[in-house]
Amino acid sequence: MYLKRDTKKNFSNLNFWVQENEKVLISGKSGIGKSTLFKVLLGFETVDRGSVLFNKYKIAKEHIKTIRQQIFYLSQDIDLQNEKLKNLLDQIFEQNLNKNRIDQLTELLSLLELNNKILEQTTNELSGGERQRIGLLICFILNRPVWLLDEPTSALDNTMKKKIADYVLKQDKTVVIISHDAVWTAANKIKIERW
Amino acid sequence: MGANDLGLLSLVSLLIFIFPILIINIRLKLGVNKTLVISVVRMCLQLSFVGIYLEFLFKYDSKLLNVAYLLIMILIACHAIIRSTKLKIRKFFFPIFLSILIPFSTLLFFFNFVLVRIDNPFEAKYLIPIGGMLLGNSMKSNIICLNNFFSGIKKDEKIYFFSLTLLGSRIQALKPYLKKSILASMTPILASMATIGLVSLPGMLTGQILGGSIPLVAIKYQIAIMLSIFYTDYFSTLLSLLFSVKFGFNEFDVLKKDIFNSEV
Repeated sequence: MYLKRDTKKNFSNLNFWVQENEKVLISGKSGIGKSTLFKVLLGFETVDRGSVLFNKYKIAKEHIKTIRQQIFYLSQDIDLQNEKLKNLLDQIFEQNLNKNRIDQLTELLSLLELNNKILEQTTNELSGGERQRIGLLICFILNRPVWLLDEPTSALDNTMKKKIADYVLKQDKTVVIISHDAVWTAANKIKIERW
Repeated sequence: MGANDLGLLSLVSLLIFIFPILIINIRLKLGVNKTLVISVVRMCLQLSFVGIYLEFLFKYDSKLLNVAYLLIMILIACHAIIRSTKLKIRKFFFPIFLSILIPFSTLLFFFNFVLVRIDNPFEAKYLIPIGGMLLGNSMKSNIICLNNFFSGIKKDEKIYFFSLTLLGSRIQALKPYLKKSILASMTPILASMATIGLVSLPGMLTGQILGGSIPLVAIKYQIAIMLSIFYTDYFSTLLSLLFSVKFGFNEFDVLKKDIFNSEV
């Protein structure tokens, strides 16, 4: 695929595919369009030439809703609305907040070493590391089949980075990660794409 | 009984007070005198013209002419809304025109037909001033509302995208922005309804009392006009938001960049 924005060429002749349940790490200098790839998959950017398919579906108007429902996308800055976390979670899980989910929430909070009280805070009150963990928490509870994680561990300490990488890599999910953290490659469970 | 007419010279005499203001501004280096003079001159000229054509409209009181005049007022209001929100006229004129026209004409005719029960609902005396008040206010609310909505989405594009992936639908992801812009546009009219009469007597009331109406009649009109303004504001901003949600985004729910005049 080809994509050019404001005289800057983001992709030129990029061929890239990911198998079901595969774990792929994309690494490379910043500014070469790694995050743009995620945006293309979600329909936020369109390519100038070439095609992008998700489970054989073209990224097009008629499929975009279904495609987005299958993907969890964690942006670099964890761009959540500034609201009390509890309210945000209520909104996100509106239709699906059952007892299972609540149990899972408690379990995951402890995995991510977050205190229950954090849910009473607003997004803007969180530190970078807490934000990232909240982003991952939403990812894990939503349990969608495809995860696109953009620098998911950049603000975490080494122990937490490792814990997250172990957890993510053992899931039966298709995961594409953009990261500069060595922790992802340590276990040899991930395919590396260097751009 | 009507208000005493003002002599032209005595009206001009009111300009005496502008001189100390100009001098103080120069001393304080406010750099506002040019704008101030232009604004005062524009106000005087514009109102003089209004006086002339209102005389004309009132004299002939033709249904067609009155309605045409109202339509021109709506067109000017639409133009002002679109210009202030930096949207492209070509893309937004018709939606905004409808958003104003529908609640405005409904409320105006309700006012004239049901409330005042005048025989000729197109009578210039009622149609033009009441229409002007509804229109002026709904123009202001629309500007606040749309500016708030579009600037919110532009500023928070990434947050909006993230919400879109989390919540699944455009309308769900836009909810916080819709909420914020509706509230912002309602705040002035709600505040003015809550303090009306306590802080100042509104223009229509003052005008009617000066024109010879008994205060009780003037008050009833004022209540009616405040409610009508509020309803027109509310429904016209709601409609323009709905049209914005429909026409301002592409098939992938992304805010279209080409609906704005300047690059964002």
